[in-house]
Amino acid sequence: MKRVMLRCIFCAALPAVVVGGALLFRERHYAFVSLAVALLALFAFFLRFERAALDVRRLVLLAALTALSVTGRMLFAPLPGFKPVTAMVVITGVAFGGEAGFLTGAFSALLSNFYFGQGPWTPFQMLCWGLIGLAAGRFSGILRRSPPALAVCAVLSGVAYSCGMDVWTVLWADGGFSLSRYFAALASSLPFTAVYALSNLLFLLLFARPIWRILDRFRQKYAL
Amino acid sequence: MNAFAAYHPTVLLTYFLSVLVVSMFALHPVLQAAALLGGLVFCALLQSRRRTAADLAFYLPLFLLIAVTNPLFSHNGVTPLFFLNGNPVTLEALLYGVQIALMLVGVLFWCKCYSKVMTTDKFLYLFGRVIPKLALVLSMALRFLPLFLRRAREVRRAQKTLGLLAAKSRVDRIRGEMRVFLAVISWSLEHAMALSSAMKARGYGLKGRTQFSLFRFTPGDGVLLGVSLALFGLTLAGMATGATRFAYYPRLTAPPASPLGLLALCAFAVLCALPAILEGKEWLTWSFCKSKI
Amino acid sequence: MELLQIENLTFRYPGAEADALRGITLTVRQGEFLVLCGESGCGKTTLLRLLKRELAPAGKRGGEIRYRGRSLEALDARTSAAQIGFVLQNPDEQIVTDKVWHELAFGLENLGLPTGVIRRRVGEMASYFGIQDWFRRETDALSGGQKQLLNLASVLVMQPKLLLLDEPTAQLDPIAASEFLQTLYKLNRELGLTILLVEHRLEEAFPLADRAVLLEAGRVLDCDAPRRLGRALQTREHTHPMCCALPSAMRIAHALGAVEQSPLTVREGRDFLEARFAASAQAQPQTQPEIPPEPDDAAPAIELKNVWFRYEKELPDVLRGVTMAVRRGEFYCILGANGTGKTTALQVVAGLRRPYRGAVRIDGKPLKAYGGGALYRGKLALLPQNPQTLFLQDTVRADLDELLALRGVEKEAREAQVKAVAARVGVEPLLDRHPFDLSGGELQKCALAKLLLSAPEILLLDEPTKGLDAFAKQKLTALLRGLCDDGVTLLAVTHDVEFAAENADRCGLFFDGELLSDDRPQAFFAQNHFYTTAANRMARGLWPDAVTCAQVVARCREAKP
Repeated sequence: MKRVMLRCIFCAALPAVVVGGALLFRERHYAFVSLAVALLALFAFFLRFERAALDVRRLVLLAALTALSVTGRMLFAPLPGFKPVTAMVVITGVAFGGEAGFLTGAFSALLSNFYFGQGPWTPFQMLCWGLIGLAAGRFSGILRRSPPALAVCAVLSGVAYSCGMDVWTVLWADGGFSLSRYFAALASSLPFTAVYALSNLLFLLLFARPIWRILDRFRQKYAL
Repeated sequence: MNAFAAYHPTVLLTYFLSVLVVSMFALHPVLQAAALLGGLVFCALLQSRRRTAADLAFYLPLFLLIAVTNPLFSHNGVTPLFFLNGNPVTLEALLYGVQIALMLVGVLFWCKCYSKVMTTDKFLYLFGRVIPKLALVLSMALRFLPLFLRRAREVRRAQKTLGLLAAKSRVDRIRGEMRVFLAVISWSLEHAMALSSAMKARGYGLKGRTQFSLFRFTPGDGVLLGVSLALFGLTLAGMATGATRFAYYPRLTAPPASPLGLLALCAFAVLCALPAILEGKEWLTWSFCKSKI
Repeated sequence: MELLQIENLTFRYPGAEADALRGITLTVRQGEFLVLCGESGCGKTTLLRLLKRELAPAGKRGGEIRYRGRSLEALDARTSAAQIGFVLQNPDEQIVTDKVWHELAFGLENLGLPTGVIRRRVGEMASYFGIQDWFRRETDALSGGQKQLLNLASVLVMQPKLLLLDEPTAQLDPIAASEFLQTLYKLNRELGLTILLVEHRLEEAFPLADRAVLLEAGRVLDCDAPRRLGRALQTREHTHPMCCALPSAMRIAHALGAVEQSPLTVREGRDFLEARFAASAQAQPQTQPEIPPEPDDAAPAIELKNVWFRYEKELPDVLRGVTMAVRRGEFYCILGANGTGKTTALQVVAGLRRPYRGAVRIDGKPLKAYGGGALYRGKLALLPQNPQTLFLQDTVRADLDELLALRGVEKEAREAQVKAVAARVGVEPLLDRHPFDLSGGELQKCALAKLLLSAPEILLLDEPTKGLDAFAKQKLTALLRGLCDDGVTLLAVTHDVEFAAENADRCGLFFDGELLSDDRPQAFFAQNHFYTTAANRMARGLWPDAVTCAQVVARCREAKP
């Protein structure tokens, strides 16, 4: 009963917040709607996990995987442009499923921004990485079997992350979504996108198999 | 700077959200100026003045980038300054760009203040009210991170004395770091399993878990919460009735001066100045106390 | 009143050939302090974990465990979690949250107590343990001793009736360990808490306990008051391996044939010695031990001259003008408390940290002359405090093999070398195990095997005896002595006074970033009043230079009344 009510409230609150905010902040309704939708989507995901019966071991494992992906980011910090977060999120998504991938992605963004600075981009970053993890979980079969698919996924996820965050840039720098501006943003971030995609490729091709081996041994040992 | 940070997390979050929402999504120049000024002063109170000046210098290129590029993409507006490739560069678009840039710098300052005031324990407290299980995950991740980094350093040292991380080329360095990272991964997962049984031993998973926190909601918190909500409400009322609607396109049009519009602008200015006001009050109290002693 | 009754308990791990526990029967009365001891692998940890339902290992169990008259399985989850507390060996493995106050509250949150009650209980516990000074700190910023104290406090805050501890002091330095055990004693005496402690530091645990339980191969060999248990242990026809873990006073008394007396503490030991030997010791001529000629012709193996080091520019100095020299083929021990710069000094010698002033020479050549890892190929090796960090592969064999492969050794030669080194260290049966599944002593030996692959002339050891029980320590000692005889120079940093006294050629005391004094162990410890072995503290009134148990016993025999 309580659950149904909560769900109803949520369903009602979602359009109310979005439409109300858009009317209120008419000049910048794109920015508002994008932020509100990102936050609400994250919230909905989180609530779903919260309700699912997660056992202790899975919770601790999620915490460890999140901390690991941020540890990776810090370990490779001396090498500019090298961020293994996306790769780690994909690896986790494939090994432990889309849910774990989503949470690891979203929490990695949140956790690393505790150290690198929170901002209005945090929810977008969380959503971007989270969705990459979710997608990796959906395609885990192919990704595990074929290295070419993994390579494609590496490049795609790098590009997807960059494109996703550029949408944010444009929505925030302007009153509306202008295509010309989006293309300009894409073009100006092209070098970064390239480094992203390339480092992703490197990380996934080098890391994925050894890490999966470790995770497999581990899953067997503890029957996860 | 403790007077403001000492308030209850709920109050702090409400305050920050009110300021951020208005400064992110409202386009009135006075609102933006108030937000930027308030954020700058608050930031300067939280950290050294030199640091704040350095931040300001750091945000300047960002400001210029956004302010200058806007008229290149946006050709709205009726007052062309000059033509570029046959497209008009308009005064309205330039001003709009300046406005957006001011907004972003202001928001960045407020986010900085937010990070300094809303420390992880406060965030976890609020997050845990709504999503307790995941708040615990986050708390554990925060505990793991320094532990894993320490482990990585230990492994790196041990591997170095085996003569394995001496290579100078970049590829070898990546490979070396990767070996270290893999070692940390396999160790950390074992660690996680050991920890999960220790958690069970301490009763995690029993029905009806509660959330404990050190934070207490005092009457003072209630007052600040009420004041911020009232000021925020006034600002919103001004925005909702269009009393503060400022249009850039097709030409700059300020709304006609109205009591409500004026009230809304003042309310937001006070809202932004609240931390500085509280800080000043605290400072006065202390100097007064000291002079009495 | 019986708090815990164990009846004919048997246990077998899945896939194991033999039972880990074979019919254990034991009764624990309320308010008792029980010490559980035995060689590693005797089943003491298994037994302890079976007593805590949430930590019980998977496997086949027989027999019955009753807690306050009710079967352990029949307890409801809340009672089981709250009333039976458990503290593990590794302090890091039980800290769940990032803040000290939250860690203290964690168990109470799980029990679902309201905020007001938690606040009171946490406050009370923090006051009792003196935690209030670091109450709001990050858990990661605590020292090992503080972490373990926090673990104890956050179990006690749930108000358990029975406290189980699995070698809680193994990872702590001696001072923190002793404080921890004293805290347990206080809890037992002041609050009447029932305590079951698995411990290998019997020197300190025995005097605290009401009863000691000795396990052997899954059976209770003996269960008695520590004094009587020690006596029984030493009067058996064959010497039991646990004898070497008994308190020094007991060992000395028994070696002298005074079976009926069994002194436990240093004070009792001293009374025992002085009552018997005070008269004859004075008559004894002061023997001056012959000092071996010092060969100072060759360059020392390790030489530090006025070395200064700090981690960052703004931080204080960690090393303040360290000057020391270790001769070739010598076993040198650096002693000192936590945070005095011992480990940093070792890392400076290993080339892991660069001093900002002063010179470090290895074999007469400055450290810089060994570029590109040349130092680590056949010259010098470091056994880190945590030997697990040396291993990256799934089996010990793969790890050793990989190291050789990276050095460019051919496949056949690799196999032969791994085999040879494993035989030398005695780890052949462990080669195909996973490094994480080894016990402390086994891991230490495998780590040594890995280091010896590169045949180092100098071996640096960081806390080599940490976490080892007396038996594993003896084995390690024998191994290190063998290396020393082969001409390897050993430099160890240790808290373990007994280990240094028994093995070192020379000892140095580190304090405040400096090496204060160094000397032969006998002379070194004879000068110290507090920082010395238990045997020396007992005998120093009679023979100040008798440092180890064996030396005291020898003096006693010479002075036979």
